[in-house]
Amino acid sequence: MVLKTLDVLGPLHGYGIARRIEQISGDLLSVNQGTLYPVLLRLEPEGAIASEWGPSENNRRARFYRLSRAGHKLLEAEKRDWEQTTAIIARFFKVKAEDLG
Amino acid sequence: MRALIRLLTRIQNFATGSRGQKRLQEEIESHIAAQTEDFILAGFSPAEARRRARLKFGAVEAVREQYHSEEGLPLAENLLQDMRFAVRQLGRSPGFTIVAVLTLALGIGANASIFSLVNAILLGKLPVADPRMLVRLGDRNDCCIGYGVRDDGDYSVFSTDAWERLRENTPEFEELAAMQSGFESQPVVVRPGGSQIPAHSAIGEFVSGNYFRLFGLRPAIGRLFSRADNLVGAPATAVMSYETWKNDYAADPSVVGSTYYVNSRPVTVVGVAPQGFFGDRLSATPPDFYLPIASAPVLANASYVRDPTANWLYLVGRVRPEVSLPQLQAKLSGLLRQALAPVRTFASEPERSLLPKVHIVLTPGGAGIRSMDEQYSLELHLLMAISGLVLLIACASLANLLLVRGIGRQAEMSVRTALGATHARLVRQLFTESLLVAQLGGLAGIAVAYGGTRILLALAFPDARALPIHASPSPAVLAFATALSAAAGIFFAVAPALMAARTEPIDALRTGSKSVSGGATLLQHGLVVAQTTVSLVLLVAACLFVQSFNHLEHVDLNLDANNRYILHIDPQAAGYLPSRLGSLYQSIEQRFHAIPGVARVGISTNTPMELWNDSWTVQIQGRPNVHANASYVRINCDYFASVGTHLLFGRGIGPQDTPASTAVAVVNQAFVRQFFSPGENPVGRRFGAGPQHAGDYQIVGVVDNTVYTTVRHKNHPMYFLSLLQRPASDKSPIDEDYDLYARTIVLETGHPIANLESLTQRILASINPNLAIVKFEPFGSQIADQFGDERAIAQLTTFFGVLALLLAMTGLYGVTAYSVSRRTGEIGIRMALGAGRFDVVAMVMRGALIQTLLGLTLGLTCAFLCVRFVRALLYQVKGVDTTVILAAVLPLILAACLAALIPARRAAAIDPMRALRTE
Repeated sequence: MVLKTLDVLGPLHGYGIARRIEQISGDLLSVNQGTLYPVLLRLEPEGAIASEWGPSENNRRARFYRLSRAGHKLLEAEKRDWEQTTAIIARFFKVKAEDLG
Repeated sequence: MRALIRLLTRIQNFATGSRGQKRLQEEIESHIAAQTEDFILAGFSPAEARRRARLKFGAVEAVREQYHSEEGLPLAENLLQDMRFAVRQLGRSPGFTIVAVLTLALGIGANASIFSLVNAILLGKLPVADPRMLVRLGDRNDCCIGYGVRDDGDYSVFSTDAWERLRENTPEFEELAAMQSGFESQPVVVRPGGSQIPAHSAIGEFVSGNYFRLFGLRPAIGRLFSRADNLVGAPATAVMSYETWKNDYAADPSVVGSTYYVNSRPVTVVGVAPQGFFGDRLSATPPDFYLPIASAPVLANASYVRDPTANWLYLVGRVRPEVSLPQLQAKLSGLLRQALAPVRTFASEPERSLLPKVHIVLTPGGAGIRSMDEQYSLELHLLMAISGLVLLIACASLANLLLVRGIGRQAEMSVRTALGATHARLVRQLFTESLLVAQLGGLAGIAVAYGGTRILLALAFPDARALPIHASPSPAVLAFATALSAAAGIFFAVAPALMAARTEPIDALRTGSKSVSGGATLLQHGLVVAQTTVSLVLLVAACLFVQSFNHLEHVDLNLDANNRYILHIDPQAAGYLPSRLGSLYQSIEQRFHAIPGVARVGISTNTPMELWNDSWTVQIQGRPNVHANASYVRINCDYFASVGTHLLFGRGIGPQDTPASTAVAVVNQAFVRQFFSPGENPVGRRFGAGPQHAGDYQIVGVVDNTVYTTVRHKNHPMYFLSLLQRPASDKSPIDEDYDLYARTIVLETGHPIANLESLTQRILASINPNLAIVKFEPFGSQIADQFGDERAIAQLTTFFGVLALLLAMTGLYGVTAYSVSRRTGEIGIRMALGAGRFDVVAMVMRGALIQTLLGLTLGLTCAFLCVRFVRALLYQVKGVDTTVILAAVLPLILAACLAALIPARRAAAIDPMRALRTE
């Protein structure tokens, strides 16, 4: 989700990412905001995202995260994985008893 | 791949103290600030906005913890924390720490030193290329030169002919090399050509031309042997050992190509063997020079080299890969039978019928010829067992000490449990502490092992010149010590950890002891009983070995060693022919008598208490043959007096016994007892070797049974001949009679003479520059050398016995002190109810002594059962007798009383009022 958000919106700071996830999920997902930062800090050394300092909307100094090339690849891979998973699950739901006969 | 990167990051974070923490903190702060602003914009008061922002963010600490545990190495961090805590804890009780570390250091050090020897002697491999492909032909350590037939047909030494036949018909071997079996007892005399260095005794080993190729060695300098060096008629060459090159010739490269006189024959040194190569077997006297077999007839006058009946070579081969050893073994046995069939030994019955039994057993050759292995295996296993037991006692005693320490920490453990520490966490903490102590003990143990190994080597090989066993711990020994200390740490941590695991938080809220019977646990008492048992077994062992050694030392050897010196020489190596020996012996007698203070000069082929024995079958003239052997020594006139052998009747060897006169013999009492009826007068009778020679020697006198060879061989029949007399029936040319070479000069002086050794060296050199001292030793130390192993074993077992006793008593003290402190309240009540101090002391002592007595009973039973394992090492000690029991039990009981008395006195000093108040 973090990667997709950055992919869609370009560089963002942590608070922004948290807000955006809330918005996109239509407040259905009430993620504990605190869990976001460990994820960001982990993705960075893995090379999926890069960060730099920059001014935020209200002129605060904030760290902006953007998706790196490796991050794009990772996103693609994750996306494929997810689609595969959902496709499999979906097939399970579609199947009716007589189809198996 | 990602997982690996994650792990590396974690390790990096752990190592750098993780910068991420700070970043996370910043991010969290800026997030909350931004959120707060948004809430303020939404109309909340700043305080409320901040509260809501925090609420929305969630638990900051939890996030941080989670991040920390994800990004770091929590296990390692906990460990580090535990370690830091353990170090602080140990630092707080230095007394305990020192005792524990010392105990372990002694236990581990003793084991590691013994293991150093075991590793070198029993497990070692030769420092050669790919030792696993080496195979030895034979499984016995038969030595030197054998002419007979083995009844079981199991061959391990071979004749030169047999070796050549085996080598030529076995393409299964890349190389099949031959090496002299008994080089250690046949030193050579070496004199560097064109230098002032005097002739000296050195160890030379005759080897085949492919010897060094077999081992895949490269020379340090020069070249090693090739097949051409071992051809008959090839110029005499030699390869010097690296140790000799470095120690005796200062690693001078000009050694290569120079001429040395080996047994007074010129030999060219062609190269130096590689560093660390100590020959084909572990030996206290490794070869200084390697010489080709083909040069042995000239250099060592060795007629046996070309004699097909003389077995004198060990064979080691390098098999080609994928050769089936059972098939090879069968093929070699067949080849050997073919080789031996035409040999004279098997020409007639009963030997002929033994030929089909002849076979070779292949054994792994990676360790070379395992002669030392066989010699010391029993002793080493005994020492391994003893030191292992000592370590067990040490661990048990540490476990008890830790339990005692645990009392003081009961409250701490309860509080920590109450604060939420899991039992697993407490146990881990205790294990960390124990392992830390164990590792410290292990480190100190390695230092102890270094010293211990040096002492062991000095005890076991007092004469070693260049022993290839080193005291500095090898990687194997280090690994052994580390593993041992870890095992010990776990072992002695189990009991205290179990106790901690039972800790209930509620205990922290109670004060004082809660039960009357709650002394030490069964486990603790069990440990003490086990310790006492083992230490009693070790004490009994020590007493047995000391007793055995005492017996050995107090055997009446029937000789006098005061102011006597034994000088070994080798006239054959110096180039003397037997026909010229008469003049040599004469000049030796004259020149040595000329030294002021020298009273007697004995010359002989053997002396009392040295590992040498010439023996021959005896036939008394006019008597049926009893098929018994007797040892013989050739001596001069002074000899009997010089070693202190008393003449009982008749006469000794005198100046009248010249080569021209009748051959005479002096016999000892055991000889008379063996070959004559009681009351029969042996003087005037004749005997010889076998029926055809029964008239060879006339007996002229009888002497005391002086002990030759070893004490275990005492009272065996001997006869003494004049140095140069040959029996009339011996018609062989005198120059082929190697029996006439004397080996020793015995000097008896009226008082100790300073620098006698250099004096004798000068005199010998003035008689003939090639005449060297093979060995110079006071008679007393030659005798003491024969007891070296026994003395070492007695000393070591005593040391371990005392150590075990000390450790066991520490354990007993620990447990008793523990019970006393646990029972403070109970004792207080007893005293308040009228128990006297004496009753209290008696009560505590009774508890301690019951355990000791239990241990004693068990220990004595074990000792009685185990004594048969060591009986082979004992001399005239039949078993555990009353003296041994008393000597072992009394110190143990005394020590136990002492160990129990200290806590008992403390118990008696308890103030009833105070004890009750703390309840």
